[in-house]
Amino acid sequence: MIELKNIEKYYANKGVKSYILRHVTTSIKQGEFVSIMGPSGAGKSTLLNILGMLEEATYGEYHFMGEDVTAMNERKRIELYRNHIGFVFQAYHLIDEMTVAENIEAPLLYKKIPGAERKSRIADVLDRFNMVAKKDLFPNQLSGGQQQLVGIARALVAQPSIILADEPTGNLQSAQSEQIMDLFRKLNQEENITILQVTHSEKNAQFGNRILTIEDGVIKEDVSVSK
Amino acid sequence: MFKLNLKIAIRNLWKYKGYTAINIFGLSIGLASCILIFIFVRYHLSFDKDYKNEDRIYRVVSSWKYPDGNDSKSQGVPLPLPAAMRTDFSQFEKVAAIQQGVGIVKVKALPGKAEIKVSSYVYYAEPSFFEIFDHQWLAGNPNQSLSAPNTVVLSEETANTYFGDWRKALGNSITLDNERDFKVTGVIKDNPQNSSFPLKIIVSYASFVSKNDKSWKSVSSNSECYVLLKKGVSQNDLIKPLEQFLKKYYVENSVGKEFHHFQALKDIHHSDDYGNFAQQNTPYKQIIGLAIIGLFLLLTACINFINLATAQAVSRSKEVGVRKVMGSRRKQLIWQFLSETTLITVIALLLACVFSELALPKMENLFGGNVSFSLFGHPVIFVFLFGLLILVSFLAGIYPALIMSGFSPALAIKNKIAANAGGVGLRKTLVVVQFAITAVLIVSTLVVIKQMSYIRNKSLGFDTKAIALVGIPSDSVSRIRYNSFQERVLAVPGVKTISFCSAPPSSGNNNQTSFTYNSSKDADFQLNIKIADENYFKTFGLQLVTGRTLSKSDTTKEFVVNETLLRKLNVKNPNEAIGKIMKVWGQSGPIVGVVKDFNNYSLHEEISPIAIFSRKSRVSTIAIRMELTEMTAALKNVEQIFNTTFPDSVYENEFFDESLKNYYETEQIMGTLFKVFAGVVIFISFIGLFGLISFVATQRTKEIAIRKVLGASNLELIKMLNSSFLWMVLIANMAAWPIAYIFVSNWLTTFQYRTALDIWPFVIAMVTSMTITIVTVSLRSYRAAKANTIDALKYE
Repeated sequence: MIELKNIEKYYANKGVKSYILRHVTTSIKQGEFVSIMGPSGAGKSTLLNILGMLEEATYGEYHFMGEDVTAMNERKRIELYRNHIGFVFQAYHLIDEMTVAENIEAPLLYKKIPGAERKSRIADVLDRFNMVAKKDLFPNQLSGGQQQLVGIARALVAQPSIILADEPTGNLQSAQSEQIMDLFRKLNQEENITILQVTHSEKNAQFGNRILTIEDGVIKEDVSVSK
Repeated sequence: MFKLNLKIAIRNLWKYKGYTAINIFGLSIGLASCILIFIFVRYHLSFDKDYKNEDRIYRVVSSWKYPDGNDSKSQGVPLPLPAAMRTDFSQFEKVAAIQQGVGIVKVKALPGKAEIKVSSYVYYAEPSFFEIFDHQWLAGNPNQSLSAPNTVVLSEETANTYFGDWRKALGNSITLDNERDFKVTGVIKDNPQNSSFPLKIIVSYASFVSKNDKSWKSVSSNSECYVLLKKGVSQNDLIKPLEQFLKKYYVENSVGKEFHHFQALKDIHHSDDYGNFAQQNTPYKQIIGLAIIGLFLLLTACINFINLATAQAVSRSKEVGVRKVMGSRRKQLIWQFLSETTLITVIALLLACVFSELALPKMENLFGGNVSFSLFGHPVIFVFLFGLLILVSFLAGIYPALIMSGFSPALAIKNKIAANAGGVGLRKTLVVVQFAITAVLIVSTLVVIKQMSYIRNKSLGFDTKAIALVGIPSDSVSRIRYNSFQERVLAVPGVKTISFCSAPPSSGNNNQTSFTYNSSKDADFQLNIKIADENYFKTFGLQLVTGRTLSKSDTTKEFVVNETLLRKLNVKNPNEAIGKIMKVWGQSGPIVGVVKDFNNYSLHEEISPIAIFSRKSRVSTIAIRMELTEMTAALKNVEQIFNTTFPDSVYENEFFDESLKNYYETEQIMGTLFKVFAGVVIFISFIGLFGLISFVATQRTKEIAIRKVLGASNLELIKMLNSSFLWMVLIANMAAWPIAYIFVSNWLTTFQYRTALDIWPFVIAMVTSMTITIVTVSLRSYRAAKANTIDALKYE
């Protein structure tokens, strides 16, 4: 599903290149649950951003579902956002002015899904996340864990093939953390959704089936998780 | 999608209530001013419309060129001209003469109605006038009703007032000047307010006494002539025939070279040079000036909006980022932000309608109450409002929308959008523009005020206080009663002097004529004449340079002239002129005195060469000078005496100083408008500045906190925040000065007598805007400086 070949990212400052990522080459298959780990500043988030097409690599090749991302135009990229990629953020990034239900509805609007189906999908997701009672609340009326649930629900409702999560539990307590990770595992196993998460926590990484460790912009380790 | 966006927009507006209120209020004030200006402009552009043939109707006007370079113009034509044009121009479908006159109208008492006696304008019109201008006839028709002598057509309203109901008017009659009876043969619908033809009483031209006058030499502004061109005839086709026409009827080498030209109907209301029956002119440059002010107001309001919106943008960067990764296109985001702007504009527009509705009566007062405006009186206002909505939404919304929709999602999500996104540079430029506009308006306002006070205080060369002017009848019977009237009025307590004259020293009523001085040949310029008596000089406080005033006489025996006349005749020493013989209006006599120059027109114009002499038969006005404190009581007595002496006339008085004010009506209105709009612009700029400083203060919260930790005092912080704004305002003023200078010096040149243009208005404008800046910025930055340091630092 994802092919990275020799990805490099650096910032040139007065002729001195400071590298964020070097020679990153890897591939991720449909249905994998990959955790990216590593110390702060290692380039985890940059890698995730490049995978999510939020940033461009300075050098290298990136194929997403067989298509060359570097040659992709904005229109095509937005198509991918609408249909294949779901984002989950550490700080949730719900839109403060929208209720829970509206936040979940937003991606469907961009996908131009008709009203009736939107309603049923939202109802479905809310039901699945046990949040029906909270659908008319605003984000600031929810706890962090609940907000992240909404964030995941929002990413999920568009039925993406891959979820990119940047430290999804970084702001949460361990109990809530576990709940989110469980959810990810379930989505991965039951619905075959590819999941890519950046995490600091060894424990969270164990929920997935593969761990990429990055240090100083280079992939140091690429191991499968033994169950 | 739209519904959701709308909901989000409303929630967003509610979240930033303060900004929203500032935004909406500032915008609605600006919009309200624009709406008012639009209503005013629309009204004046709507004059003389809706005639079937409006594109083919022209007025014939006259002008004269004099050897000394001056020319004069008149809306009137020589009396034989209409008939001559009818035969000589094959290009005209119709030609119509119309004559304005004043008369005393009497309507006999009817059952249940008292007798009516009023002084009113009367129009002598040929039937063809109504073929050129189609009117709705309630009764009668032009050819039948206006062809015979002694017939009259009334407007519906007039007929209702005179006879209770216009249906009863037909067949009844009215009496004009106590001499002739006119039978009502027709009733027409009233002309609207926006017409240059306030026709109320229309008498058949056949009843006009001088209708057969054959003199091509004299022209009265009361005799107008209208023509209807044949279809397909253009003004160019008239040049040749007009040349022949002028050659045929005018003397080759007359002193003033006569000329006529054809003025399109649509230009009559907007003419600078020619008056009209309605005595209302709004030159295009005035309308354009107002439109420009309107545009300025709109611009400043939009600038505010842009400033506030971009300042707010940062707080919405996260939303933009999230929406983008959810698959929103940039175009969709632009639409979303534009629709928010539109929502604000709609609210502001509704508020603006309320404001304009409240301000309309004030505007009517400003124009003397003879115009009524209504907000939704004309459907075109909706088109304007809609256009305004689109324009403002776009103008104010597009820039912030472009900025916000352009945020990079990666940075936006990480909250790394720099607080100065959206170009602080551009925002500062906008504020500079705003303050430049403000400065231009302040300078203009101050200069207008200064010139108006100059006008009020300038010595005109005569007295204006406590002098009443009363029109008196000049028929032979009345003239016999002048002496006894004078004696009785002089006996009234409080009356000091009384003078019989044609017009006061300065008046809109002027007579020009050719004359000879110390030779048998006509001088090469026109003379302005004033009919007066021996008391004229005392009544108006005119001062003599040399010689004596007029002695008592009923006919022209001697002349008093002014200094300008002597200067134009190259007479250096006034004493030389005494005893020289002048011939005016066919009467010769010696010059007995030279009067000091006085302003005989408004201060827009130069002083004319003037001769003052007696001629009882041309007296039309009496001037009564009174004790200031006893004026009211004295005038009551005068009215009583007038009514018993001239029972068939109508008593009307006006105060000399009031009538002089009418010269400057346009300037008064302009002055008021400037004051109001300058106030509005200052207010809007103030709001904009407040918005900007609020933003800057928020943006620099952390910096301020750190500086405080490092030991900066509140005062130092306020100074720091102030300095950049003061620079901006200073630059704005520098930019505004040359523009303002060109503008006001141009305006001042329209006055022959004007106040000196000095540096003060410019300095005051600068000090005012600086003061406003300091107050605004200090208010807000004091709060920023006093904020708790810990809160700000913990914030990150």
